[in-house]
Amino acid sequence: MKKYIGLSFLLTLLVMGCANRASAPGVSEDKILIGNVQDLSGPMKELGAVLPAGSNLYFKYINEQGGVHDRQIEMMVEDHQYNPQKAVAAAKKLIEKDQVFCLYQVIGTSPCEAIRPILAESGIPLVAPATQSGSMSDMSREAAELIFHTDTGYDKQTGILVDYILSQDSNAKIGLIYQDDDYGENVLKGAAAAEARTGISIQREAYQRGATDFAGQVANLMKGGATQVIIAGVVKEPIIVMKTAAAMGYAPQFFGTSPTMDHRVALAAGPAGEGFIASNFAYLWNSDVPTAVLYRELCEKYEVPEAYMGMYHFYGFATAQVLVEGLKRAGPYPTRNRLVNALETFNKWDEGAFPPITYSQNDHAGTESVVLVQVKEGKQTVITDWID
Amino acid sequence: MKGRYEDENLTWIPILIVGIFLLPFVLKGLTYSYKYYLFVLNMAGIYIILTVGLDLLSGYTGLISLGHAAFLAIGSYTSAILVDQVGIPFVFSLFISPLIVGLFGFIIGFPALRITGMYLGLTTMGFGFIVKRLIIAFREWTQGAGGLEVSFPIIFGYTFKSDWDNYFLISAFAILAVVVSRRIGKSKIGRAFMAIRDSEQAAEASGVNLAKYKMLAFFISGIFAGLAGVLFAHTSHFISTDHFDILLSIYFIIMVLVGGASSIYGAVLGTLFIVLLDYLFVPEMKGWIQEFLNIEGGDIQSLLFGLIMFLFIIFQPTGLYGMWLKMRIYWKLFPFNPKKKFI
Repeated sequence: MKKYIGLSFLLTLLVMGCANRASAPGVSEDKILIGNVQDLSGPMKELGAVLPAGSNLYFKYINEQGGVHDRQIEMMVEDHQYNPQKAVAAAKKLIEKDQVFCLYQVIGTSPCEAIRPILAESGIPLVAPATQSGSMSDMSREAAELIFHTDTGYDKQTGILVDYILSQDSNAKIGLIYQDDDYGENVLKGAAAAEARTGISIQREAYQRGATDFAGQVANLMKGGATQVIIAGVVKEPIIVMKTAAAMGYAPQFFGTSPTMDHRVALAAGPAGEGFIASNFAYLWNSDVPTAVLYRELCEKYEVPEAYMGMYHFYGFATAQVLVEGLKRAGPYPTRNRLVNALETFNKWDEGAFPPITYSQNDHAGTESVVLVQVKEGKQTVITDWID
Repeated sequence: MKGRYEDENLTWIPILIVGIFLLPFVLKGLTYSYKYYLFVLNMAGIYIILTVGLDLLSGYTGLISLGHAAFLAIGSYTSAILVDQVGIPFVFSLFISPLIVGLFGFIIGFPALRITGMYLGLTTMGFGFIVKRLIIAFREWTQGAGGLEVSFPIIFGYTFKSDWDNYFLISAFAILAVVVSRRIGKSKIGRAFMAIRDSEQAAEASGVNLAKYKMLAFFISGIFAGLAGVLFAHTSHFISTDHFDILLSIYFIIMVLVGGASSIYGAVLGTLFIVLLDYLFVPEMKGWIQEFLNIEGGDIQSLLFGLIMFLFIIFQPTGLYGMWLKMRIYWKLFPFNPKKKFI
């Protein structure tokens, strides 16, 4: 009996040893394994289901055409409940246990920040983190050379909005409502930079994540005499803020950062939301650009539920294109290093979802411009060209 | 030294300690994903340091705290600021930061002189929210809600960089914490704590200074949480307010209760049980459970936690450690058991 135990132990070690020697983890003869850490059951679980679904729609389309260099793309999704510690555990599990090739679309600023040390330790790239925090493309930070950001940062967006407001109305008094978390932190950074650049002062009002009452903030802005108000919220916040302001008889011009661009804002805010301007770093999913057309065709073909379709689902779809293009360029024998080098060859790459993306060794920001979208008669209309 | 009133066999302790230090080598031999398991064990080790301290407060003294994640946060941020911004070496921070957290515990001890039970739970919970707001407000030092990068622990010139290195650092401190907390639990202080828990009036009549010992319980518990915080900040390398959620405080209490309140080994067992359940077994079982029940992964987690708490409180109020003790007594007396009951 003892003999067999020893033998099986040795065999186990041998098998493990072989698995360990695989040249590029996550890449096999006919498959590339991608790791994704989403919020499936925390405060952002609505997005947690929709984003990977959008990406999978594109992967399915590519896989049906034979995949990338004859390999099918497969994505594993883990849950972090918007808890950075859980995100670290999930990322470690994906890297060490499931042996994924690269990480992709990890949602949330603090979860992405928390996994930086793991990226640095294992040299694994993170493509298209699903956060618009400008800190993701700050090249002075740890593991920045492995992170490829696709979105225009919140700090940048705030600056662009302030500039736009001042170009329309040089006497503008700007107010800002922000979420006092990692998201708001980046917005504040942009606001401070804009103040230093233009010499104006911005009235700041904070709210807690999950708040549903904004009467205090709106009253303060009214007292402060703000004529333009930037709302750095998600979906629910701009709706409630604009309705509250309308009920108080206060009518400034409202602006919003990219998360407020959701079409549900225009739907739910009704007349109070008329004229609301939001910045956006991608084309609209219901516009006529080729990617959006392809997206709607695929949605129809694969019978995507209507509740999924929208800017977030399309965003997942669009970032999947970036990853697939990177994998294509990494060649038939991809390694993590080759993927990084391949992504750095993107030069004004334009698939028609984001503005042209350029990566280089010293710049992983991807896009840095936005379009402004205004609600006119209840419909979202693009009112500017790409501005930065 | 043998305890006076118990027949404790201490020979297994050195074996266990050697086992703890050999474990990573065994894991490395067994599986190529050993780094992930070490990471989970490291987390358990840090939480053990905190929960043995929490056990002294909630288990021994009977003062419930729902704010221990906040103590952990204060320890983490204090050490991060002291080491990275003030420039104090990590080794000194290991002593200074826990003391500072102990002082915070001391302050929180004041309301505990007047209120107990659920109200104290609510007060400490409120403390947790205040700490989170304060961390965001002091953004000059803490970088607000954006989170703070922390340097690696350095002891006598050696930098602890990987999960492998951290394992030895953390388990050394976890063992130290268990030993110290057991000594406290068995000392005059520990007896005073238990007297307070059982009856404040009786304790006071026997000459226990209520105010002093209640504050002391918070102070000691704060020191343990502070030490856990220091290790947490430097080994995880990044901290943010999202790490120290109110849910974490509740998990800590669950760990203590599941292990068996007012036994240090119980707190250790409970912590290991919950952390391994949360990070290893639930993710493994998730797919399997989802085939039968149509619920999300995270919801399964909450469901399992709730269920375990519920079952333990009803069937095993003495927790995992109590279960073990009963089992031991059963086998010792076999076959002359007073009751035919196994656990």
